Amino acid sequence: MASSVTVIGRTTRVRGRLSGDGDLQIEGLVVGEVVTSGNVTIDAHGIVGANVRGRRLVIRGAVQGDLLGEEAVVLEDGARVVGDVRAPRVAIAHGALMRGAVQTGDDGAAQPVVRAQASAKPALAPPRVVAPQARANAVAVVKPPAPIAKSASSISSGPAAAPRRPPPPVVPVLKKTKGQVLKKKER
Amino acid sequence: MASTVIGAGIIIEGEITTDEDVVVQGTVRGKVTAKEAVTIQQGATVEADVIGGGLVVAGTLTGNITASDRVDLQAGARVVGNVKAARVTIADGAQFKGNVDMDV
Amino acid sequence: MAQARTSTGGTESRIGSGARVRGRVQGEGDLVIEGQVEGDLSLRGHLTVAESGSVSCDTVDAESVTIAGLLQGEVAATGPVQLAATARVRGNLKGSAVTIAEGARFSGRLDCDFDLPQELGGSAREVRTKAPTRR
Repeated sequence: MASSVTVIGRTTRVRGRLSGDGDLQIEGLVVGEVVTSGNVTIDAHGIVGANVRGRRLVIRGAVQGDLLGEEAVVLEDGARVVGDVRAPRVAIAHGALMRGAVQTGDDGAAQPVVRAQASAKPALAPPRVVAPQARANAVAVVKPPAPIAKSASSISSGPAAAPRRPPPPVVPVLKKTKGQVLKKKER
Repeated sequence: MASTVIGAGIIIEGEITTDEDVVVQGTVRGKVTAKEAVTIQQGATVEADVIGGGLVVAGTLTGNITASDRVDLQAGARVVGNVKAARVTIADGAQFKGNVDMDV
Repeated sequence: MAQARTSTGGTESRIGSGARVRGRVQGEGDLVIEGQVEGDLSLRGHLTVAESGSVSCDTVDAESVTIAGLLQGEVAATGPVQLAATARVRGNLKGSAVTIAEGARFSGRLDCDFDLPQELGGSAREVRTKAPTRR
């Protein structure tokens, strides 16, 4: 399927939901919601009043909303962000300003966006998925260990010294992104 | 002047307002108001009232069109809605259902 | 609880990679931490946490801060706060400018003073604003 670049020009205002595949270049105003499986660039003139979710987000303009990157979120000089930033990799350059929480690493990873917006389908289900609802309830009760020092799994079965990938610490399900609950996939 | 391009894989549900021209390759549901030309390319789907300087439609449009200049429905266009424009052309092969008002 | 003082007058102090300090560290001048510190830091100078360094405390106050190692605590600087790509930081950061290199691990809040454009409800003047409630 084609994934051409979508450009919201400088004098353009979009009020509503912007979703789908492909890269987004926002130079105007978008108020509502932005969800794509591609990359999102908000240039210096861009003004976004929305949660933004994509693969790699590069921000040079103003955002009021959460920034969720499947790969990375980069705030460059000129960025003005009020909202939370979550991605495996986050960079904040000199001149970028923000107010909000930042979470890097696996706990910051946004789920890959599925085009049909269905809940996690087998094609995208990572091998560690457990029943999300049951796990989500269990998550809320457990006290999270320090995210920096990832605790080695003591519950992995088998005598192997270390699991393939150390499980991320348990963190309560993020409540801010209503309707886009990031299901925690940990064990 | 720069264009706003709604790419093929993108769906916009809401209102688009712009001073520049708009090219739709994807899907728009809601309302489009542009000062310049609006182009709805083949494969695009627009379910919205469209107001523009001019319109070129090669895709699917369900909604009323109001253009200050001209409206061109090209072959392959499928339009359901009323058209109000100074000039209207409907190419051979275009499908159109609605009223045409050239009394602008 | 031990109290370590750095020397006055802008000379650099260093907590070497094999050293371990338990207790508050305060004073004038710059400080480079290559070892382990468990205790609040209060400096009138630049704080560097080297890649081998580890700081665990409640509060870190300094003029400016560069972190390439581990830091857990609330950081408040009058000047810039920089996280290098090897940094592992947990806690809120406050400074005149906060930069984070891609690859750094960080969990915490940033609170910079600025206004959003009016289209997003910000005021026209550059005044100190409270973070708007988003939910």
